Amino acid sequence: MTAARLPRAGDALKQGVLLLAAFMALVPTLFMVLTALKSDEDHAINKLGLPETIVTEHFRSVLIDSPFLAWMANSFILVAGAVLLGTIVSCLAAYAIACMEFRGRDTLLAASTSLMAVPPIVMIVPLFVLYTQLGLISTYQGAIIIYAGLITPFSVYLLTTFFRTVPKELFESAHIDGAGHFLILLKIVLPLSLPALVTLVVVNSLYVWNDLLIAIIFLQEDSKRTLMAGISVFQGRYNNQVPLTMAGMVIASAPMFILYVTFQKHFIRGLMAGAIK
Amino acid sequence: MNPSSRLTPYLYVMPLLALLAFVFGYPLIRIFEFSFKMVRGINGPWIGFRNYELVLTQSLFWESILHNLQLLLAIPAMVIISLLVSILLYERVAGWRIYRIIVFVPFVLAIPIIAVVMKRMFQFSGPVNEFLRWLSLDFLALDWIGSSDVALWTVMILIIWRESALGIILFLARLLSLDESMIEAARLEGASWWQRVWYIILPQMRGVIEFFVVVSVITMLAAVFAYVFVMGGGRGGPGTSTTVVELYIFNALIRTSLPGIASAASVLLFLVSVLLIFPLFSARRRAREQEG
Amino acid sequence: MKKSGPNISRRDLIRTSGVLGASAAMGGLLPMGAHAQAKTLDMWWWGEQELPGLQAFVDGSIAAYKDATVKSMLQDTAVVISQFQTAAAAGNAPDVQYLWNGIYHMESVWLGYLKGLKGLVKDEVITASNPTQLSHFGGDIYRLGWYPLPMFWCYNKVLFEKAGLDPEAPPATWEALLDACEKLKSSGVEALGGGIQDGYWGEWYISHSLPQNLDTLGEAVELFIGDKDFREPKYHDHWKRLEELKTRGFLNKDMSSLELYPGIDLVVAGKLGIGQTIGTRLPADSKATGGKIGYMTMPVFGKGKLAGQPIVDVQGLGISSNAESPADAAAFLEYLNSPERLKAFWDATGWLPSNTTFDASVIKDESVRKMWENWGLKPNISNVTNLVPGQFYERAAIPTGQQIVQGSMTGEQAGELAASVAKEWREFNPDMVENYRKWAVDLSKPT
Repeated sequence: MTAARLPRAGDALKQGVLLLAAFMALVPTLFMVLTALKSDEDHAINKLGLPETIVTEHFRSVLIDSPFLAWMANSFILVAGAVLLGTIVSCLAAYAIACMEFRGRDTLLAASTSLMAVPPIVMIVPLFVLYTQLGLISTYQGAIIIYAGLITPFSVYLLTTFFRTVPKELFESAHIDGAGHFLILLKIVLPLSLPALVTLVVVNSLYVWNDLLIAIIFLQEDSKRTLMAGISVFQGRYNNQVPLTMAGMVIASAPMFILYVTFQKHFIRGLMAGAIK
Repeated sequence: MNPSSRLTPYLYVMPLLALLAFVFGYPLIRIFEFSFKMVRGINGPWIGFRNYELVLTQSLFWESILHNLQLLLAIPAMVIISLLVSILLYERVAGWRIYRIIVFVPFVLAIPIIAVVMKRMFQFSGPVNEFLRWLSLDFLALDWIGSSDVALWTVMILIIWRESALGIILFLARLLSLDESMIEAARLEGASWWQRVWYIILPQMRGVIEFFVVVSVITMLAAVFAYVFVMGGGRGGPGTSTTVVELYIFNALIRTSLPGIASAASVLLFLVSVLLIFPLFSARRRAREQEG
Repeated sequence: MKKSGPNISRRDLIRTSGVLGASAAMGGLLPMGAHAQAKTLDMWWWGEQELPGLQAFVDGSIAAYKDATVKSMLQDTAVVISQFQTAAAAGNAPDVQYLWNGIYHMESVWLGYLKGLKGLVKDEVITASNPTQLSHFGGDIYRLGWYPLPMFWCYNKVLFEKAGLDPEAPPATWEALLDACEKLKSSGVEALGGGIQDGYWGEWYISHSLPQNLDTLGEAVELFIGDKDFREPKYHDHWKRLEELKTRGFLNKDMSSLELYPGIDLVVAGKLGIGQTIGTRLPADSKATGGKIGYMTMPVFGKGKLAGQPIVDVQGLGISSNAESPADAAAFLEYLNSPERLKAFWDATGWLPSNTTFDASVIKDESVRKMWENWGLKPNISNVTNLVPGQFYERAAIPTGQQIVQGSMTGEQAGELAASVAKEWREFNPDMVENYRKWAVDLSKPT
């Protein structure tokens, strides 16, 4: 074991690689933050360095003069609605698939899970036409239904796997006590599956929050615009004011960033689970 | 288990069926229907395979496919970078905890945000080129965003940057479940770092690497809309050099109001994704089997 | 295991899912619910994106209008047309719709989505608002003009002086332009250009340069539908000229990665000699430079009757055929053209409304007034790219400019691309070709 303690060329190289990787990973964020703190003139002549004087005007501009906060509120509404709806639907279905017997059970699971591989873009054309006919374009409920639909296949898959691990004895004793299925789901299975549920909520929230495609097509009205759609609008409108744009980006990434730093473990676990998507 | 009624299970899965039927079932049927019609607004006359004819003979469509395929070239780079970083993190090189927090950051930032930032950075007179010129590497100061020859590679750089973080997450998760004793034994026997990696670590990671590759293939073919939309100025530009199939469908529906064409292209993309379901599932199964 | 709380029975579950299902259905139906109250009008519009302050005008007008309740919705640029057309096909289109000029609304006319305004809106209001020739079809007019967009080239007078050019006499011919660019280059400044990354510069270039070899706008339509061929030298001459500017090194180096508006900023900031701009920028740019920005029509190289004519585009408003009460919609549009509203428009946006009865005495800025006199009130033609079908716009109008500027396409190749895309458009949209041909008749009449 002592050999490992002596610094060797190999160790220095490994440090170097990790240092480089970390630097690459951080550079855009650094640029974003530093530029947001520069004045327009400062940025024009000094793109790479530290700000000459720290300017906080842009942040004020973004928060007060532009609809960033409204956009974030919209994104939040969609996340809450879609994750709630999707989770409820998935819990019910996963419970039935994992803990009950019925005809078509395995086919349903297989079909639902394969839908994970279908790219959302494929669904866009008919849903766009249908929604226009039903007047659902630019409505929260319309978009929530679509998002909920897109996140359920993965949720059902994950929850089914988890629910299957609940020991049969718990079911049996609950039945003996006279509990019906719903109670079992609520009082036994869900509490035991809390880690999976948390992971699921994290992954699904990220998915809905970060989505651009559905948001652009189905939430076209200015007042319902989400953060991501708003960003592509924002950068177009203010593309000649780079520090202002960067300030907007800093504010836009703040929620996820804060969550990441605070709930690192859950986040990472969620990302790992989401990666299996 | 004592089913209280034969109907109960169906009640529990009904919401799921309803939701999936609405969001997946209905559209999937309709794209086939629309693809055979000349749709203006919400419906139109039946025109048989004409839409497919038009799509498959349009150079823009094949260009889009070509660009998707070009993006596949990013995958080897992603795999190598992710492997390297995750193995080093696994070896608990000094400061690994901090490095781990940092290298996940690309995945925490949403794609539109990072695309906007990168677009500014890679402007012709932007910081990246300024830096390259400062290093006297002027020949590397390309028109990253504006040149149709380079633009797609710039998008690829962004994709590699972000999706490698995903690879690191996946690989590290697998590595942490490896049996350390074998690696330790090899080291004590004098195996070099490279030998340990090549002969012991990598073979045990085959499953998860395969899985990552398949997931990335699916991503490159059908999940790069946000990257291209923001970097390419909303049009897959400059010119048409960053148009991908998703953008082709989007433009056909939204910009040129041709739902029939968009549907035909959607059908084609759907068929391709169906073909990829099998490798995806078997890769995932094998990855899990390897973990034991 | 704790047993607490009421026993939730299967019946409760059914009831809950019933409620969830019903409310989802209700939520879907709600927007279609009948409005049983007094007159309401729906208005979908665009424009705050290019004319800040317009939103304030719209809100103010709606608040002040007492004859009906108007609900407005600001649309996203990418979906202005497709959203309207899809809604119209479903019978859900708004009463009042914002309409870009030319094909952008003419297609809706052909599909039966828009109402002709003759007999609905007072004649004198229609004429005063200048909907432009491009709103005419089959003898009827389909828009009221809302605000004008004069289009011209701009140049920096200070840089002209430094290069030894007369700031009050900008180049009028192509040779003079080349000479001016040479002088600008020698004086150490980038001569001409802007930003073409988002494509619009290329569109504007066509707006200015294509008509130079045409006698009527109807000829342009014939090009797009393929009755005339882009491969003929005079129809891609303008792209060859752009190529010339590129090969002689007159275009700014970052043109390909810069967007349109930052590109115009270069001229204003004194970093670029000559550029293309839009009238709505004039008030601010003039103020920012103390009047040092000059304006000109594109230097002439062509031999068509339209060469050298000022170009004015006009954004407009129309009434959809879904409107429950077109008369009410028309009344609202007439209201927007009342003298009080026209003045409110100027106050809210700092820009001119499209109405010849507008009292121009409120314009304090000399260069703005001169621009209005030269571009608004004198004979002018409209923006030819408004005649271009969407597919042609995306596949040829935008990419040609971008690729020539990059140096990866020649003028001839641009002509080839345009011809093949025109052919492609005909194949994808056979139902539109006949309509275009009829429209060419309206557009070939002298203005």
